Amino acid sequence: MSTVLWPWAAGALRRAVGAAALAALAAFILGPLLTLLLWAFAGTWLFPSLWPEFSLRWWAFVLGNADVGKAIRMSFLSAPTATLISAVVCVPAAYAFARLEFPGRRALLLSFLSANAFPKIGLYVSIATLLYRLNLMDTFVGVVLIQLVNTLLFMIWIPTGTFRGINRNLEEAARDAGAGPLRTFFQITLPIALPGIIVAALFAFIAAFDEAQGTLIVGTPNHMTMPVLMYSLVLGYPQPVGAVFSILLSLPSLVLLLLAQRYLRAGYLAAGYSL
Amino acid sequence: MKGRWNVRGLAAMVLAAAVAAVFIPGSAPDRAAAAAPVTLNVYINGDTNIFDLWSKSLLPAFGKRYPQYRANMVALLHGNGSQGVFDKILAAKRAGRTTDVDLWETEPSFVQQGMADGLWVKLSADMLSNLSKIPPQKLAATGGYSIPYRGSSVIIAYNSQYVKTPPKTFDDLVAWIKANPGKFAYCDPNTGGSGQAFVAAAIYKFVNPDKYAGNAYDAKEEAAWDPAWKLLHDLQPAMYNNGFYPNGNVAVLQLLAQQNIYIAPVWSDMSLDFLKRGLLPKTVNLEQITPPLFGGDSTVTLPALSQHLEGALTLLNWLLTPEAQEMVINAVSGYPGVDWKYMPASVRAKFADVAKPYSPLPNAQYLADLKRLWHDRVAAGQ
Amino acid sequence: MTRRARQGALGLALVLPPLFLLAFLVVLPAVTAVVDTLTPAGGGSGPTLANYAQVLATRTVRADIGFTIAVTLVSVAAVFALSYPLALYLRFSRGRVARVLGVLFVVPLFVPVVIASFAMITFLVNHGFVSTIAYHLGTRTFPRLVYNATGITLAQVWVNIPFAVLILGAGLQAIDDALIDGARDVGAGAVRTFVSIILPLNATPTMITLTLLFIGVFGSFTIPYLVGGNAPAMLGVTMTNYLTQYLRRTESVTMAVLAFLIAAVVGAVYVASVSRRERGTA
Repeated sequence: MSTVLWPWAAGALRRAVGAAALAALAAFILGPLLTLLLWAFAGTWLFPSLWPEFSLRWWAFVLGNADVGKAIRMSFLSAPTATLISAVVCVPAAYAFARLEFPGRRALLLSFLSANAFPKIGLYVSIATLLYRLNLMDTFVGVVLIQLVNTLLFMIWIPTGTFRGINRNLEEAARDAGAGPLRTFFQITLPIALPGIIVAALFAFIAAFDEAQGTLIVGTPNHMTMPVLMYSLVLGYPQPVGAVFSILLSLPSLVLLLLAQRYLRAGYLAAGYSL
Repeated sequence: MKGRWNVRGLAAMVLAAAVAAVFIPGSAPDRAAAAAPVTLNVYINGDTNIFDLWSKSLLPAFGKRYPQYRANMVALLHGNGSQGVFDKILAAKRAGRTTDVDLWETEPSFVQQGMADGLWVKLSADMLSNLSKIPPQKLAATGGYSIPYRGSSVIIAYNSQYVKTPPKTFDDLVAWIKANPGKFAYCDPNTGGSGQAFVAAAIYKFVNPDKYAGNAYDAKEEAAWDPAWKLLHDLQPAMYNNGFYPNGNVAVLQLLAQQNIYIAPVWSDMSLDFLKRGLLPKTVNLEQITPPLFGGDSTVTLPALSQHLEGALTLLNWLLTPEAQEMVINAVSGYPGVDWKYMPASVRAKFADVAKPYSPLPNAQYLADLKRLWHDRVAAGQ
Repeated sequence: MTRRARQGALGLALVLPPLFLLAFLVVLPAVTAVVDTLTPAGGGSGPTLANYAQVLATRTVRADIGFTIAVTLVSVAAVFALSYPLALYLRFSRGRVARVLGVLFVVPLFVPVVIASFAMITFLVNHGFVSTIAYHLGTRTFPRLVYNATGITLAQVWVNIPFAVLILGAGLQAIDDALIDGARDVGAGAVRTFVSIILPLNATPTMITLTLLFIGVFGSFTIPYLVGGNAPAMLGVTMTNYLTQYLRRTESVTMAVLAFLIAAVVGAVYVASVSRRERGTA
């Protein structure tokens, strides 16, 4: 089996193109992140010097800020809660979309696109009006609800694709052997679907965790999450402060990236979007 | 394979440890037994320097002076969330409950709204012994429903290394800007008061400021602002970066520090603070022009339905002592709420250049329209 | 009850909870918003389009709408132009370069948008990183790359590459190698293969990508707020300003509904193309 299927000129030209593309893409993608990293360890950095004067004093400043602790706690309480609620509510529905026949199945599955079809900020302005009337502004529940909106699409579509990809014969064999539907689900279907569900949960968590626009409107002043705090740190303080907090804010995502690498390559995301 | 597993396992452990560290301290039950201090909630609308003033200087000192109280600060950056706080207090009044808001530093418009609904305590000398220290005209402005505890105004900062003869009047400033394109900036009025002050100064050149400072609001009065929009729009090409208005008070100070611009409108307290911390070059001087840019006092209001009225009154009274007022001056370089004569002479000397009277602030509705019209008529040039 | 009816009932019961959430979090606010904007300002009877007329009469709002559409189209085109070749490369190449690229392109996915915007600014601003390097290489004037439409576009491209490459790549994955080999055996060149075989077979993921990209960029707030200029502004920023700065909630919600409508048109195109495919494979 041919290992090189690239239809262009083979060999050196392809390698050169590849290397150039790699260099350009790496510069574009990693450049901003590298700059931020330098700023995080900068005491001061004045043009036109290429390097900053290194110092750790802004770390002490950020870590000593009481709001940072509160925001971290709020983020790590609300995002997992939103993800968990989303998973509990959506995974059984995903199974239904994948396996069961019921009227309007296709239309209802497509309707979840509406969560992403409306421009997010317009949606948040409308949700805020509704939450005002329900007295849910500046409450934990309000923040979780806003984060929940972002998770729905991932938690429905990706598990649906995953369940659909499981061979029906396995389930039918279990049923023929006498297992009831619940037992079949928990002992056969779910274990096989678990990697896909984990990928979905991963994306849902990141979407909930990074949610900034809606929580800015709904969560101030008492329920600020890390991304919301980021706005005020970027706008109200010298550059190194925003850079330090960026590193703090990125850490959970980085950890999840390491954990998720294997699952990402296995194509569960692809299966979800193939409808 | 084994190497990969170790990295993932380590990452998982780090994540678990982080989660534990976040949850466990918060969930430990409060062990303080019988002599538990009363916790007061103080809601503060402002910028980061004000939050630091309260959380790092005022509230700890208050706790030390009155150990039976502990105060907790809730920060409303640039006033975000203020409407929600007001709604919360109003809802409590309607439902006949108490509210957790014990003291609220907020904009005058909310104080005005609340007065009609009877939401605030009308403070008098027998409730607050230190009330007499406040100049009577300042108290008259709010009828005793809110107490000024600090003030600041917008002033002009200029880099004396590049600006040998600083402009002394608003017209001089406009002429300087046109003669030195690209070396002046003011922030987008949506994002900071220093930008609003410059826009207001342009407006005040053509109208009487007091007409817009009171409680009355009539959108038709804004037609008188047209010449100001023309002035500011004509000034746009001479602005920093061909008409770029930075996002926030601090962004403008940073431009000044990086010597991208040489003159800018800035808040007195912020700029004095930056100078003190070495974040602005020593060559930057401050001055007030004629007519002066606007400024105002920040006031604190006491909700009538506060859960801890006595504690709130104690805090409010302590706020007006020379001890607390000096903290205001030292921590944020603000003007005191009490009369200057109660401040030490050394302090009065330090402020001689900037502690001059200032122009009034437009009321909240006019201010909202000012921002919108500036956007439409100046930034977008319509 | 027949087995089929039982299955139908069970299916509906299982999908009800998330549908309820969707209805509560998306449909209800949207409907409330539309109703609010159709109500005349001083009370009074009957639905009215006065709010829409007023908002659309404001020249700056019209300018902002036009600006938003323009920036969105350019950003989507840029993301697409960069992501498709990347997806193709990853699909058809093996080797170390492909492996590294495969990890590289996913990185922006794990960076929160607020941080991405801030990083872009420090990277591209005048007297920032790139400009400092350019200065040392001899250039004295540096073009303005942030606080304008260019900055918004560059940041949107950075943030959206992983998503586009993943979806397009998933579609390309489904194309059998045999088809490509077959085309090559018949003598088709690279471009011909791409146009006649890959493009049509990958049509649905392409539509998905373009649609979701458009909607995402059109309704964005963080990137235009931090990286954009003062005027014209993207609709997301304008809406928020009307709500929180100018204290005009009705105008803000009216603009939100207008943004829904524009996005709905694009969404309808997507649904139409997907339904066409579903009917084809059913």
